[in-house]
Amino acid sequence: MRFAAVTEHFSARAAIGLENGFDAQGQTIALDPSLGDEADGARAWAALAEPSRGLEIDAREWPTDAAVAIATGAALRAWRMPKGAPTCLKPALLVLCRAPEEARRLWPRAAAAVAGNLFARALVAEPANRLTPANFVERMKALAEEGLTVSVLGPQELERRGYGALSAVGRAAPTGPYLVTLEWKGAGQPIAFVGKGLCFDNGGISIKPALGMEAMRADMAGAAACAGAMLALALRGAAGAAVAVLAVAENAIGADAYRPGDVLISASGRSIQVMDTDAEGRLALADALHHAITRHAPRAVVDIATLTGSIVTALGHHRAGLFGNNPTLRDALMTMGEVVGEYLWPMPIGTAHREDLNSDIADILQCAPAGRLLPDACHAAAFLKEFVGETAWAHLDIAGVETAEEDTPLAAKGAPTGFGARLLEGLVEG
Amino acid sequence: MLEISFVKPALPKAGAIVALLAEGAEPAGLLKTLDEAADGAIARALDAAGFKGRKGQSATIWAPAPGLTKLVAIGLGPLDKLTPEGAEAAGGSAWPAISGETAALVATDALDAPVAVRVAMGALLRSYRFDKYRTTEKAEDKPKLAKLSLAAANPTTAKNAFAPFKAVAEGVFLTRDLVSEPPNVLYPAEMAERCKALEALGVQVQILGPKEMKKLGMGALLGVAQGSAQEARLVAMRWKGVTPKKGDKPICFIGKGVTFDTGGISIKPAGGMEDMKWDMGGAGTVIGLMAALAGRKAKADVVGLVGLVENMPSGNAQRPGDVVTSASGQTIEVINTDAEGRLVLADVIHYAITQYDPKWMVDLATLTGAIIIALGHEHAGLFSNDDALAAQVLEAGTTTGEACWRMPLGEAYDKGLKSDIADMKNVGGRPGGSITAAQFIQRFVQGRPWVHLDIAGTAWSSKDTATVPKGATAFGVRLLDRLVADHYEG
Repeated sequence: MRFAAVTEHFSARAAIGLENGFDAQGQTIALDPSLGDEADGARAWAALAEPSRGLEIDAREWPTDAAVAIATGAALRAWRMPKGAPTCLKPALLVLCRAPEEARRLWPRAAAAVAGNLFARALVAEPANRLTPANFVERMKALAEEGLTVSVLGPQELERRGYGALSAVGRAAPTGPYLVTLEWKGAGQPIAFVGKGLCFDNGGISIKPALGMEAMRADMAGAAACAGAMLALALRGAAGAAVAVLAVAENAIGADAYRPGDVLISASGRSIQVMDTDAEGRLALADALHHAITRHAPRAVVDIATLTGSIVTALGHHRAGLFGNNPTLRDALMTMGEVVGEYLWPMPIGTAHREDLNSDIADILQCAPAGRLLPDACHAAAFLKEFVGETAWAHLDIAGVETAEEDTPLAAKGAPTGFGARLLEGLVEG
Repeated sequence: MLEISFVKPALPKAGAIVALLAEGAEPAGLLKTLDEAADGAIARALDAAGFKGRKGQSATIWAPAPGLTKLVAIGLGPLDKLTPEGAEAAGGSAWPAISGETAALVATDALDAPVAVRVAMGALLRSYRFDKYRTTEKAEDKPKLAKLSLAAANPTTAKNAFAPFKAVAEGVFLTRDLVSEPPNVLYPAEMAERCKALEALGVQVQILGPKEMKKLGMGALLGVAQGSAQEARLVAMRWKGVTPKKGDKPICFIGKGVTFDTGGISIKPAGGMEDMKWDMGGAGTVIGLMAALAGRKAKADVVGLVGLVENMPSGNAQRPGDVVTSASGQTIEVINTDAEGRLVLADVIHYAITQYDPKWMVDLATLTGAIIIALGHEHAGLFSNDDALAAQVLEAGTTTGEACWRMPLGEAYDKGLKSDIADMKNVGGRPGGSITAAQFIQRFVQGRPWVHLDIAGTAWSSKDTATVPKGATAFGVRLLDRLVADHYEG
């Protein structure tokens, strides 16, 4: 990735005024003169016939920040599944712009966000036999090299401290559960990110149908987004403080697995009656939210999770569900979502949603009893709300957007999107 | 219908008395009279019952005075926080306690007149009962109270203030009746006949049958109806409460009226299919709304349109794979015959635009199960291409307790309707199912300001609320009556 003012020889060029096709010098790709944004850069890269031979994009028609956006879009779209990327003959991407010096000054911040997003994508892409809870933790520990403070609570420690909800979810798997904390020590009260990190989710005793179960390797996309955001903050040396608390576990089946009907005592002391062991994400988040709020006194907390199928029925694959208790935080997230192309939509938590979770024997049901047409995404949000107290809180249900179901500007069909990494990173100032 | 009368404050000789008390308020008016006659025993009894006047609190004292059966105390919460809807809820929650009485008086004399009116409205709305098919119910199990009196300092003022509310309640009851009726009784032609009754209120009613609709090219609506032995109808109702000036355009409400929805060839599972009698809930609401507006002589020019069909499987029924041509000329590939409501709406909306050139349109439909999975039963899904109109509907929903929640539209969702052989498919798949349904409808509104309310989760209630007994809710009648009252009456 380079910025320059003068053209070099590339076998593929993208510019305004070109037509899509080939000429004597190689491939030509048309840019949309009305855009000059991330999507333009991403589309140019997506149209590339031979990515390994690199691309020159002529962005001299636009101001420098647009050139940076074009570079950002191309860099995001250039992500590939990690299966031995081909080597490049030339610098992969050359962006021609009017003021390369200025572009080079602006680029590190954009590059940090790109790196965070791509880190999240790489984690989501990893299959569950490689990315076990223990392996996830090792990868988080490696982030200490980038300047993050990393601490880990393991299974015995969680059990000893009474983190009964997360402990129950993870206990039937060979490794985990873990609660991983990543801290970026900037100025002021931190903002807290809480991520669901289910490295694999077969549903437990309430086991999932076989069809499509392989996609459950991505059930840690919330935690990956948090980790990506924290990496980006470290790489850009953010001024503000942030902390991420990741609930890392595998929901497995086994002789010691937790059961529907079990009552769990969460870290907050609240008792939870389990209805469906496949609604495990909210249990893991309950303890992680409690930990983040009581240990780090954040100014706001945002949790992010591939939580419910219901949100996919509600919003499809183009927007994530946004729940919460604070209009200011909601508006900040909505705005940032538009900026980075990670679109959200506000959803309600009604009094009936909470009443549906009244339990005969515990403080709360984990989810409503099985039935037709249940608003499970709202139920899950009503459940999580019980664990945040008065803290400003938002909950992002990203089931449906963590993987690109079709070609989107920034991700090819089937690729992880890294949804949330840039969104969360953007909330931290400086 | 329960008779409501406003009377001068005086202690009744028989029956029950209802006292409405604000939190921390001392007994006043009739309650004070009653308490003094009993040497303070009433106040002591309420105190002993732990009654503090908190919102939603209630207490019953039996035989509070000679001749009286009981005193029912209802809490209003702090008086400065009492909303009109709170007053309705208080009135409604009194109903179950007094419905078995032969006479009852609500002691609203110490409260402001508008509060008394809303208390009466709440009790009236809650008193609704659909029992025409109960032939063996014992008399003692039926409500006995036929007339509810409310004490008011100035009964005539209160009575006049109540008149428009009564008209709205009549509209609500009409909707509840229509939605509650079984599908063998209420089929398209019968439902159209019942619209005719609105002529007595001054509504112009025009009924189109299959022949007229065929002439208009309504292939989408007629495709849904073709499997049924019952003929389709389209009913246009117009209430001209004002003489339109040149350039004035009417406003238009459109309702989905599938009098029974088996799903057609894409037949539904048996469990719960009986609920599909209320798949005409949108049309039921539009009809009740027209009755309410005409009943209270709303100063507005309003058109109500309902598309009435029955969706049945048969040898002649529409098939998955069929391509139909809508009245707009756009072709539709029918992928799922159970996504029929949008087909009906497509042609009715086109008719609304070509016949009436409306200022804006609101459609109501029990359209998708997906909206229940998205929002549950507390909010209807609201979709719109016009932020100002959407904001007005949302606001009217909040103030009438018929809440809506805005849902997104967008090009990305619209793409899901792409068909290989026609202009569009009638379904876009499970993900975002309510949104793609709304996108489908949007393809027929020709860019006019439009709101679509998906009321699949709110047209029917499985439990009692303060002012809505379980069953048909008539969701939308009060909301849209309010919308018209607040913004479109000149």
